[in-house]
Order: sequence, then C-alpha cells, then structure tokens
Amino acid sequence: MYLYDALDKEFLADRSAEFRGQVARRLAGELSEDQFKPLRLMNGLYLQLHAYMLRVAIPYGSLNAVQARRLAEIARRYDKGYGHFTTRQNIQFNWIKLADAPDILDQLAEVDLHAIQTSGNCIRNVTADPYAGATAEEVDDPRVWSEVIRQWSTLHPEFSFLPRKFKIAITAAPKDRTAARVHDIGLVARRDRDGTLGFEVIVGGGQGRTPYVGPTIKEHLPAGRLLSYLEAVLRVYNRHGRRDNIYKARIKILVAALGAEEFGRQVEEEWAKIDGARADLPDTELARIRGAFATTPFETLPATSAIFEANKAADPAFARFARNNVKPHKKSGYAVVVVSLKAVGQTPGDATADQLEVVADLAERYSLNDLRVTHAQNLVLPHVKLDDLPVVHAALQKAGLATANIDLASDIIACPGLDYCALANARAIPVAQHIAAKFADADYAEKVGELKIKISGCINACGHHHVAHIGVLGVDKKGEEFYQLSLGGSGAEDASIAQILGPALPADKVAEAVDTLVDKYLSVREGEERFLDTFRRVGMAPFKEAVYADAH
Amino acid sequence: MKVVTANRLIDGEVVFWKAGQWVERFADAELFTEAEPGEAAVAVGKGQPKVIVEPYLIDVVESGSGLAPVSYRERIRALGPTNEPTHGKQAEGGAAIEALQHASGAARSSGRLDLIRRK
Repeated sequence: MYLYDALDKEFLADRSAEFRGQVARRLAGELSEDQFKPLRLMNGLYLQLHAYMLRVAIPYGSLNAVQARRLAEIARRYDKGYGHFTTRQNIQFNWIKLADAPDILDQLAEVDLHAIQTSGNCIRNVTADPYAGATAEEVDDPRVWSEVIRQWSTLHPEFSFLPRKFKIAITAAPKDRTAARVHDIGLVARRDRDGTLGFEVIVGGGQGRTPYVGPTIKEHLPAGRLLSYLEAVLRVYNRHGRRDNIYKARIKILVAALGAEEFGRQVEEEWAKIDGARADLPDTELARIRGAFATTPFETLPATSAIFEANKAADPAFARFARNNVKPHKKSGYAVVVVSLKAVGQTPGDATADQLEVVADLAERYSLNDLRVTHAQNLVLPHVKLDDLPVVHAALQKAGLATANIDLASDIIACPGLDYCALANARAIPVAQHIAAKFADADYAEKVGELKIKISGCINACGHHHVAHIGVLGVDKKGEEFYQLSLGGSGAEDASIAQILGPALPADKVAEAVDTLVDKYLSVREGEERFLDTFRRVGMAPFKEAVYADAH
Repeated sequence: MKVVTANRLIDGEVVFWKAGQWVERFADAELFTEAEPGEAAVAVGKGQPKVIVEPYLIDVVESGSGLAPVSYRERIRALGPTNEPTHGKQAEGGAAIEALQHASGAARSSGRLDLIRRK
C-alpha cells in the first residue's frame, strides 16, 4: 500500500496541533460555536444526538493491520468499544468527547490516518473497488488512481469551498462495486483496442432528494490526462454550481439543468485552456505511486487446494461461507474473503474493538497485511491463500464475523439513522435488524439469492436507498416514524433509481412488507433471475398489489 | 409543558436545564408550564457558550407512565440509541428511564426543520 513520507507525516502532525489549538480556544471561549463549527467539521468532528462523532477517512477503503489496530484502540479508549463503517468506506466513532478529539487525531496521525475532508464542501474521501489489486476483472489497479486523486484533492486551494460536497468513485472492473454511476464523478477505467488505458467519465450522478444516474460526458479520457480533466470539471462546477440553495447545490443539479452534452462541452472548453504540462501528473510521479501498489509479494501456487476442497466437503458452514463470501482472485491459489458485518441482530457496519483486532491479525497473517472496507459496510481480506481459508473462517466464526450472507437479503446497508444522527427523521438500524431476522434461515436466504436492501433514515440517502433492489426511506409522518419502500434500484454497472412502491408504512409493518415482496418474487421468478431481474421483467404492479392488498 | 435542552460543549452530552444548572437526567429537568420562564432559561443558556451548545425548548407530555418528550427524536436524546440499550443515559435503568422507553403514541413532529444546516 501507499505509505506516507516524512513530509506527509509532518503535515499531519502540524494539522493535529493546529486543531488542538482551535479546540483549546473554543473551550476557553475565544472562539464562538459559529466560528468553531467549520473548523471542527474540517477535521471530521460532528455534533450528533448524544455526543460528538468523529469520521475518520480510510482512503479508498484500504487499511493495514497497524491502522486497524489503532482504530480498535481508539474505539476502546475513547468510544464505547465499537466503530461504524460507512458507505464511503470510512469509519465513524459515535461517542467522542470534544476534549479528546486532538489526542485522537494525534494517535491517528501516528499511523498515517486522519479525518481531513470527511466533511465540508470539498472533495471527500475517494472510494474505490474494495477488490482492487485482487480481482482478475480489473484492467488496472484503481488504488493507483485513487491515490493520485487523494494527493491532488487534499487541501486543494481552488476546490476547498465548492458549492457543496463532492464525491468521486473509481473502479477498473466491469462489475461495479463502487456505485460509480451515482457519484458526483464516477470513473470507470477501460482499455481501448490498442490497450491504451483510459477512463469513462460519468458526471452528475447522485442520491439525496434528487437522485440521478449520472450521464457519461467522456467515453475514453486518456489516463494520463486525468487530473487536468478533473480540474476542468470541478472548475465548471465551482463557477456555475448553485450557491443560493443548499438543496440544489450538488453538481448533479447543474448537469441536469445544462444537459450532459452542454456540460460536457463547457468542460472541454475549460480543459482546452488548461496547460496539461502543469496540471497533469508527471509520468515519474505516477510511476512512484504505482510502485507502492505493485509490490504485493504473491507466491506461486496451484490453482486448486486440497485443504480447501476437503473442508468444503466436510463442513457445511464452511461450504456456505465459501459460496457466499469467498470471491475469485487474479492469482491462482488465492481468494478474496469478504467479512460480513451483518450478523443477524447486529447493527449493520458496526465492528467492536475486539473484532477489529481479530481482522487486523488475520490481515497481517493471512492477507499480506491488507484490509479493505466496502461501501456496503463490510470488510475484505483481499489476498487469502485457498489453503488458509479454513483457518481464517474458523477465526472469523469465533469472533462472530463469519456470517455467510454477502449480497443476500440480510446484508443490509443502513445509515446510523435517528439512533445517532442529528439529521435523521427516523431510525434505520432497528428496521434493518427486523428485516435481517426474516432471513436468518441461511438456506432460505440463499434460495432468495442476491437481494440488496438499503435503508436511509432521511432523504440525504447515506444508506443508498435509491439504488437498492428494495430501498427503505425513513420519514417523519406527523411525528411518527414511517417508511417508504422503493423497488428496482441498482448501484452497480446496471445502475437505476428505485421507484416508490406506494404509501409509507409504519415501522412495525416494514419487515413484513419485505417478506411479502420476496414471497411474490419467489412465486413469479423465472430460472436464475435475481429479485432485480424479476422486478425489471414484471414491473411494479404485482409487488404493489401484494403489499397493499389488505388496504383494498 | 416544556423543558430546555442542549448539548454540553466539552463532551456533547445531552443536558437539561434545572434552576440555573445543566443536568444529565431528563427526570431532573425543570418543567416550564409558562412560556416566558422557559424562554428566559434558553436566553441564559445562549449566554453560556463555554458550557453548552444550542439550547432550545422541547415539548413534554404526560405519557401515561410519566412525563416524556413529545417527539421521538427527543426521547432518543433523553435515553440513548435504541440499538445499544446499555449505551447512553438509559444504561442506568430505573423507573424514570423505563417510563421514557415506554412513552409512545403522543409523538408529533419536533418542529425542528432544516436540520441539514445544523450538523
């Protein structure tokens, strides 16, 4: 992985010291809350319902064992022993005291972590394929480009006060695990016929109160021109994006207002004015960054493993885990292991300090010191030998981390919702727990197959409900928690925005309604269709009728 | 009936006004039946930026098992997260906490709009 140099480390230490001074001045009354709030937000510190919340950046969702252990220590010492992984591949601590925040930032900086640009109207943590460097599907390692963008965007003077926050996702595989098409900018790396690397540039996707699947404004941007082109996109947005209305300030509104073609034309015009020699990354620098990811010390192994096969045959739980949580690796004899943070009854995306330490140990010992966070709030051990899978599985089992449900109905994305978040209208976590309980029978969950359920506690859509196969949005209906269901969304390469099923349901009817939807799906599905495929074939009517039949 | 609440500056803890002090338990909060003294308490709170952040009035009602905030948002603030029953104020248990946990049916909107700006 990319490691910080002395300059980076000095910068982080300075930044932490600066925040320590700001906190001291706030506590002494020298700064008002209005003056202090933007400063704490620039360091990822929010004031939530019960305490301060610190959002720590995990660049492109990539951690090493030392970093994961440090997160565990912070959870134990400064929080209540747990952290919450988010849909931006970050981690949030829910019970932080303002007075402790500078010490925490110091301790993060010691292991090259920070909370910079996890809030505010700037370019946020860049997200990437959690299988980067491990999947055979990719045409290049997206971490290289994520790191390029991370360095370029960090404290970028021109783009630190954009009209609104700005999120970039990068994938280099045809199967999109980043929701690239619903980002402010989605980058999909491709090679053209002669093998030249380039990016499809998707701009103006997004969720929130006006969801859009972003249009492609450039089919094949030469990879070497990435930064100058991003600069042009951001400059057009910074100049013309709305600042008069917070709800219309994201780039998606500008792109929709201008039309993709006109927006693309303005970007080209701006791009032509930029001196590429100044704005684009020199090849030497790209080679330096690429070098940091090119040194994974894989062994030469046979494609099959007798140990793996024997354990699958002997242990049904392991076989189930292998079916659902173990994914193919580009190197023979290795596999990608997805660690579910969605045990039935658990808070989606939460990990205890003990669990983080277990995963850190496994990453160090069995996954070339590499650990990833997925936007679906799970963890990934990207490079596990097939021979080691049984022992890794056993260790995960012992820590309550072996739930074999990746992309199944109980692998639910949920935002913190009204249990923690000051912005939420309704709770998301208990609804996720109720729904997951309906799919606790693992055989049944596998029979249902891939089903992506995503829950947000408010219209800001941190829980990605717009791109769920079954989306759930919490609303405040005359002071009671109600939930609006929507169907047919996808955040993957076949991206689509979910459509509203019908009138919102009270909290105690949501899990039941999901159950009804799944029953309907099972009764009409053809062949190997996923829920999403069936929905796209039969449309809304049969599902609507099934859920609201009683109301007629 | 109203109660004045805020978050404590140094740790973000939810606090309630009680006769010039900020206390942690909802059950200890001072109850205002008249508008004026409640608003006066908010004004005092706004003059204590080194102690608390953003004081405001919330509606409370007799819920059957005792007094409780009208909005479920404020009930969660007074208790802690519902997914972790041992975290936050609810951890100490007791009759007052149970009364809050069982309060329901009286909910109506907190009237706190435009939350996206508040963070």
